[in-house]
Amino acid sequence: MRRTLALHGGGLLLLVIGAFPLAWMLSTALKPSGEIFATPPTLLPRAVTLENFQRLFVETNFLTYFANSVAVSLATVLLTLAVSAVGAYGLTRFAFPGRERVAGLILMTYMFAPIMIIIPFYILVKQLGIVNTRLALVLSYTTFCLPFCLWLLRSFFQSIPLELEEAALVDGAGLGRAVWYVVLPLALPGIIAAGIFTFILAWNDFLFALVLITSEELKTLPVGVNDLFNATIVDWGMIMAAGVVITVPTIAFFVAVQRYLIQGWGAGGVKG
Amino acid sequence: MNRHPLVGWLLLAPSLLLLGGLVVFPILYNVWLSLHDKHAFMPVQAFVGLKHYVYFASDPEFWSSVRYGAIYAGATLVLQLLLGVSAALLLNEGFRGRNLLRGVVLFPYMIPTIVAVILWKWLLNDSYGLVNHLLLSAGLVRAPVAWLGKDHIMASLVLTSVWQFFPFVVVTYLARLQTIPPELYEAAKVDGAATWQRFLHVTLPQTANVLFVIVLLRSIFMFTKFDTVWLMAGEGGVSRYVRTLPVYAYARSFTYLQAGMGAALAVLMFALLLVVTAVYFRAFRREEAAA
Repeated sequence: MRRTLALHGGGLLLLVIGAFPLAWMLSTALKPSGEIFATPPTLLPRAVTLENFQRLFVETNFLTYFANSVAVSLATVLLTLAVSAVGAYGLTRFAFPGRERVAGLILMTYMFAPIMIIIPFYILVKQLGIVNTRLALVLSYTTFCLPFCLWLLRSFFQSIPLELEEAALVDGAGLGRAVWYVVLPLALPGIIAAGIFTFILAWNDFLFALVLITSEELKTLPVGVNDLFNATIVDWGMIMAAGVVITVPTIAFFVAVQRYLIQGWGAGGVKG
Repeated sequence: MNRHPLVGWLLLAPSLLLLGGLVVFPILYNVWLSLHDKHAFMPVQAFVGLKHYVYFASDPEFWSSVRYGAIYAGATLVLQLLLGVSAALLLNEGFRGRNLLRGVVLFPYMIPTIVAVILWKWLLNDSYGLVNHLLLSAGLVRAPVAWLGKDHIMASLVLTSVWQFFPFVVVTYLARLQTIPPELYEAAKVDGAATWQRFLHVTLPQTANVLFVIVLLRSIFMFTKFDTVWLMAGEGGVSRYVRTLPVYAYARSFTYLQAGMGAALAVLMFALLLVVTAVYFRAFRREEAAA
């Protein structure tokens, strides 16, 4: 009995720690300006309003930032999955000298935090003539997700027996078809986990977007919202509304495929 | 079916091209840059040898950034471990709503840093923040605390970071907890071991390995953390009370536009991490081998 009580008490505390700040953000976003600054503060909005969201969408460039973030994140996911799936297939299905060493070196590049190479990275991107483009962001995120995704997919491909693929080949399928219909479906949990990991990294990134993007119409959400925040007077209702809108895709995406993600997490771990 | 090695290399080529061009090359270029005087935007540059390193050796700002970085990484690491391990132990027990809670506890880690930061800036707001309101109503403080002022900015930054990153510890530690054979606990119970003794003699030795990795990764991540720190304190004002090494390196490169000096700071950051990691491995290697 005392044990159950302690467990539930602890659980409740953890629930408050994990979810309350986010609930408070949502509650503030739904309050009219007057109520936001009321003393004592109201836990739930007395008069629910969407005016904060309306101001956010109409009076700021938020929707532009949002569209940029969606475009960059989705392009990053597609490119990263294509490059890492092909690479991981090469690493597991072809024997060549130095293969294990290459895999090890790829993992080593994962040890370098973006902040440690952002300066040469910026100069390089500038010399390539792609500074201030979405392409620069997509390439940066893809590169920084690659080591993790390659290793994750490699471990999934390794667990799929080569015989399954060979059987499809014997049955007359080409290698492309064999991979598409036999290997990829079996590696689906890994592919989804890699996709989520990549999406979250691209969606959340602040540093690359800060350094590589200068024009207003190309900014992504984290930098754009930080600019809104740094305006002379902070419009708390609107900022909290922005926080809510940015958070929803991440959490929805995550909840939808949580069971796959846990597998991926077990296989690798996440950076940040 | 022809599985020629060359095809393997070919499939790996796009990955190697990206990693080589956008990670390995910048690392080498960074070392080269650190030996030059270079403006961040202009093409002018001049070889200066080790001048930047010599400069930083006696630069008070550099040493203060190392100190702030160590305080920030150390404090957030300890608190993340305490909170994360406790939460994982709790979520390893059976009770109603556990699976839901396992998902909810991950939220702080999934949301963008910018959201975590604006959220806590609102909670910690001196006039209208909920935290001050609760402290005042409970009579714990007499006047509102300036949480984001120079005296408390480090504490606020640590609080925000611990909230944001403790789920990482929960997930990795919980994953290991679930693989501990239940027989070990049964045996300890038969021997009359109390709960805390079971933790000390069964759980802790069983999880020593994963703790070793968690501490290593979290230290590296926190010591190189840029966005949370920079977003929390901005560039002017109170930022100098939380100016960690990554923020200092960024400021040198993109505020003062001294790319060469910024590059030298990045090299120093890497060197410091290497030294600390080496010491850490030496100190705990025996424990790791035993577990």
